Amino acid sequence: MARGQAGKSGGLRWSRLAVGAGVLGVALLCDLYLADFVHDSSIRQLFMLAACNVLVASSLNVINGMAGQFSIGHAGFVGLGGYTSAVIASNLHEMLGGGEPTFARSFIVVPVCLLASATLAGIFGFLVGLPSLRLRGDYLAIVTLGFAEIFRLVIATAQAGEDGSPIARALSRLGGQNGYMGIDNQGIPLYAGPFWVFGLAFVLGVVAWRIKFSGWGRALRALREDEIAAAAVGVDPTRYKVTSFVIAAVGAGVAGGLMAIMRDGTPIVNPDNYNFQASFDAITMVILGGSGSVTGAAIGGVFITFSIKAIEQVQATSAVQALRREFESLDLNALRMIVYALVLVLLMVVRPEGLLGERELFQKRRGGRGGSGPDAPRAGAKAEAA
Amino acid sequence: MRVAHPTRASLALADGAPLLELTDVKVSYGGIKALKGVDLRVFPGEIVAMIGANGAGKTTTLKSIMGLVPLAGGAVKLAGRPLAQDTTEQRVAEGISLAPEGRAIFPNLTVLENLELGAYLHRDAKAMKETLEDVTELFPRLGERMKQEGGTLSGGEQQMLAIGRALMARPRLLLLDEPSLGIAPKLVQQIFRAIAEIARSGVTILLVEQNTRIALSTSQRAYVLRTGEIALEGDAKELASNPEIQAAYLGG
Repeated sequence: MARGQAGKSGGLRWSRLAVGAGVLGVALLCDLYLADFVHDSSIRQLFMLAACNVLVASSLNVINGMAGQFSIGHAGFVGLGGYTSAVIASNLHEMLGGGEPTFARSFIVVPVCLLASATLAGIFGFLVGLPSLRLRGDYLAIVTLGFAEIFRLVIATAQAGEDGSPIARALSRLGGQNGYMGIDNQGIPLYAGPFWVFGLAFVLGVVAWRIKFSGWGRALRALREDEIAAAAVGVDPTRYKVTSFVIAAVGAGVAGGLMAIMRDGTPIVNPDNYNFQASFDAITMVILGGSGSVTGAAIGGVFITFSIKAIEQVQATSAVQALRREFESLDLNALRMIVYALVLVLLMVVRPEGLLGERELFQKRRGGRGGSGPDAPRAGAKAEAA
Repeated sequence: MRVAHPTRASLALADGAPLLELTDVKVSYGGIKALKGVDLRVFPGEIVAMIGANGAGKTTTLKSIMGLVPLAGGAVKLAGRPLAQDTTEQRVAEGISLAPEGRAIFPNLTVLENLELGAYLHRDAKAMKETLEDVTELFPRLGERMKQEGGTLSGGEQQMLAIGRALMARPRLLLLDEPSLGIAPKLVQQIFRAIAEIARSGVTILLVEQNTRIALSTSQRAYVLRTGEIALEGDAKELASNPEIQAAYLGG
């Protein structure tokens, strides 16, 4: 990721292509040999989860950071993507004859899964985005939260059994509160290896970067700053607001899909993975890194993933376990929310704009934050020369 | 200033026909009638001022021209064509630009980005570059601050940016909402000199102002708006010497 953007500000077309190919090559090598170097599968899982969370954060960043809307239901889109990919991967796996999920076969399974996840999440993003035309601020936030909770509860409360309407029967196969474990509970085939996870995190990260600095991203940021002024220069608020929701939902769908079929991940998707806490984690990632900053969202995603793991590690230490025997209700995972809340409060006091603000790492120009990216300095120079 | 638009069709305007015409325009906010039937005409090449006290409906008039508020009655016509069906974006494309009140620029975007957004609807690179040159010539201060964030500019510079941004669309009709609001007198002079120059290059201007003195000295004709109605209209110089105007708006 880092290398990619350093290459971008270099401005040379070929070097960019080389960097892109290099990153994908490294991802490919990771896919084939990572297990030989990193023997602990939980560590491998952690790295890949971090990459997925980078996708979650950078997609939420499109709504919360660039468009200036406030969504607190991002987990709903992630979950939609997760369930879609889980179901399709399981069925495709069955059709292809079962067995071990091989790398070669992942080139069929993963694209199909992720396309379906992205499409479905995008459709729901459109539907959730529509109220954003009339609602703003907290009211819109409630709509997004409502969507995420409805999604979670519809799946969690589906009754097992073969009676009722076709929709109820279909939902009941998703396992309800226990989660979906593939066909006949054999587990979801985990096709997405590091090549897919790291590769997509990189590619979609570049896409997010391009969105921010394109005319489209600029119009979106203009809308965030002042809606009347934006309309007065000809930006259509309706189109931009809804499209930003769709883009964010598509990103979340891909991230959720990847997480569900991630190699070294858990072969089960559970409605509780997509509760409010998950949405809150996503918001924390964006705010921590700096709303509106693509690299900030990436940093936030990595940081939060690793800190969750770190808290689990601390939880497992003998000292904490000994304490737990004394105080049964002690649960560091629950404390995590308190720790995050404190971190956020502190951050808001000390650095309200987040770690990076709207700035980017690897952005050459220092003048303004959230500048106009790779092409702007040249245009600026022309203007000054004139 | 180069003002001809690269792709927009030129208007067939009969001699003596107004570029902009408002007939009996009514706007209500909830139950409150902000405009009770405004008639107003702006002819090509003119600077027309609209003066009046707070709450008289000046900004609402401009918003009704841009399509930013729904009309409760009446019609807005550009070169004889009713705009009722047109969205705000379409009106911008047809050549109406607004520099909104209170220097509504994009504070977290750079000056250059603000200006580029002004040319949002026509992505003709050459025309954009030319207009950028013209705007920096008109307001050299903006040229010095291209990479600075809009929010870090002084009040006067922000107003220049708002006008510059409106010009980037190469409008036929430029709507200016209180360009003197909260700006140091010296900069106000500069801005109004620039407005006169914009008009000389062929852009028609409708100017809303509370600063009656400078508005009447810059414009050719003026309307006085009072509680949602046109109270007076006429030649700017005549209005400036009108005892009623002097008492009400020019401080004696």
